Amino acid sequence: MELASTLYQSPYYEVAICATRCPLNLAETASLAEYMRETLEAHDLPRHFQARVRGPVLSHHRFKVAVAGCGVAAEYGYANAGIVYNDLKDRPTRYSGRGGLGSVMASRGLKFVVVDPLGAPGAAIADRSRFEQGRKKLEEALLEHAITKPKGGLNTYGTAILINILNEAGGLPTRNFSSGRFEGAARTAGEAIFEGNKQRLGRELYNHACSPGCIIQCSNTWHRPDGSEHVSCVEYESTWALGANCAIDSLDDIAELIRLCNAYGLDTIETGGTLGVAMEAGVIPFGDGAAAIRLVQEMGQGTPLGRLLGSGTESVGRAYGVTRVPTVKGQSMPAYEPRAVKGIGITYATSTMGADHTAGYTIAPEILGVSGKLDPLSPEGKAALSRAFQATTAFIDSTGHCLFIAFAILDIASGFEGMVEECNGVLGTNWTNDDVVRIGAEILKKERAFNEAAGIGKEKDRVPEFMKYEPLPPHDQVFDVPDVALDSVYAEL
Amino acid sequence: MGCVVDVWLYGALARYGGDAARPSYANIKVQLPDGGTVADLLAQLGLPSGERGITFINGQLSAMPGLQPDLGHLLHDGDRIGLFDLRSMWPFQYRHGAAMIPEMASAVHGKEGIRHSYERRPRKEAS
Repeated sequence: MELASTLYQSPYYEVAICATRCPLNLAETASLAEYMRETLEAHDLPRHFQARVRGPVLSHHRFKVAVAGCGVAAEYGYANAGIVYNDLKDRPTRYSGRGGLGSVMASRGLKFVVVDPLGAPGAAIADRSRFEQGRKKLEEALLEHAITKPKGGLNTYGTAILINILNEAGGLPTRNFSSGRFEGAARTAGEAIFEGNKQRLGRELYNHACSPGCIIQCSNTWHRPDGSEHVSCVEYESTWALGANCAIDSLDDIAELIRLCNAYGLDTIETGGTLGVAMEAGVIPFGDGAAAIRLVQEMGQGTPLGRLLGSGTESVGRAYGVTRVPTVKGQSMPAYEPRAVKGIGITYATSTMGADHTAGYTIAPEILGVSGKLDPLSPEGKAALSRAFQATTAFIDSTGHCLFIAFAILDIASGFEGMVEECNGVLGTNWTNDDVVRIGAEILKKERAFNEAAGIGKEKDRVPEFMKYEPLPPHDQVFDVPDVALDSVYAEL
Repeated sequence: MGCVVDVWLYGALARYGGDAARPSYANIKVQLPDGGTVADLLAQLGLPSGERGITFINGQLSAMPGLQPDLGHLLHDGDRIGLFDLRSMWPFQYRHGAAMIPEMASAVHGKEGIRHSYERRPRKEAS
């Protein structure tokens, strides 16, 4: 078992176990390694590894495996448990975060999935020259656009670049969606992360890739005062959910909350939404970072209060009698206030996933087939655009591209062509730009049919009631998109 | 008599905040003459208009990179102005339906509004 013991000691597996076996103390590597050994042996995996690797297994980079795991949050069956993937530096930080997917995995007794590409056939590419032609166009667009290029917006400030923007716009949900502006926002923003790291490290730190070969490289890290790494990644949604939404303005507290979420396998949006409702209920005060950390630790420990919080934003609202509960279809809202940004409110309401900020990315208006027909600022126009955006997003997601390519290909037409050519190169199809929305719509229809068969129909396509009568400062607006406009999103698909 | 406006400078623009500049932002009060405009404010800050991108006046979008219809916009006592550097972004789907000053609303009317950047073609950087 010499090979196997090398394997267990590799930092990769320690991290992987952290993400899959709690509430063990993170520092308890001996017991974690023992658990991993038992699990691997139970499934005869050491022999599997030995048969495929020559020499000692030192790290997963040499061994080239990827691990998807679910954490203690999933073992407890929490509604806010995600599936956690290790990034290129073995951090359990990338997520299939939303909808309690981790608990679905754990409920089947599945602890983690190891993907080993050795001996696998790889992806078949029908027409490699066509694929390469498309790849070059898309790459050029990403390298050129101000948002996606090296040392551009995302590579410098990360997705948290949006904190100050939404705060100025009056659309940054604050104190459990009771205001659109947070007085401490600037201290939690992407600019503050960049400058804070620079002060603590003595040099500029640009962001890194979350997956091999990425050009955009938007994943950041936050460092402690002594320069050691605290956590990756402080996304916009995470620094908002655990920051402005809870009135917490310390990046160090936010980083610790994210680190705990990663350790337990908790989705940060749902966790921040839950804490916001718990603060509204008076469980702890708004702005108390130390108390918020204690509550997340209780989720990890599985105390009675921790289990209640782990059941998610909507359940905590019910338990404490809170009516300001920012959810759609039971899923907590992300960091764009529908009363200030009404277009995304329509997507939140109608997305098949529940409130989802990634369901409605946009592409060139001439492709969407809606420009010129409707006033884009009327409720009907916004609904038509949301429908086209959701279809577009379903297409891009299904191709395996990162959704952030949408930033570049909206403004650079050749990049959009490149994406379609890549697909044609892989599949041997002859799709044109116009096929994108059509194919995306077919995907949405399947998702919708699934929901309807599960009893989730158009009556669930609604924002929470309080948003219809409670004006949001500073613009003092309510969500006034009529139900008929919301219903038209899928009725006219 | 004049008026005083509340100015927030973000990212690389923080350096125009003088003594109030923090590493990642600056918040200053600026005195303007009656009838002062955005252009007057930028001149007083010594901030070339081309260095700023996304801009807000009282939470209403007033400018984006490549689109600055707000230079003649009159400012009033107590107005809050947020100015961002050119790295900042606000993707269309996350601003669709958000408030804009009338000059900006008419500038992006129709399909021209559906963009992430209003620069006709982002400049290629010298390699």
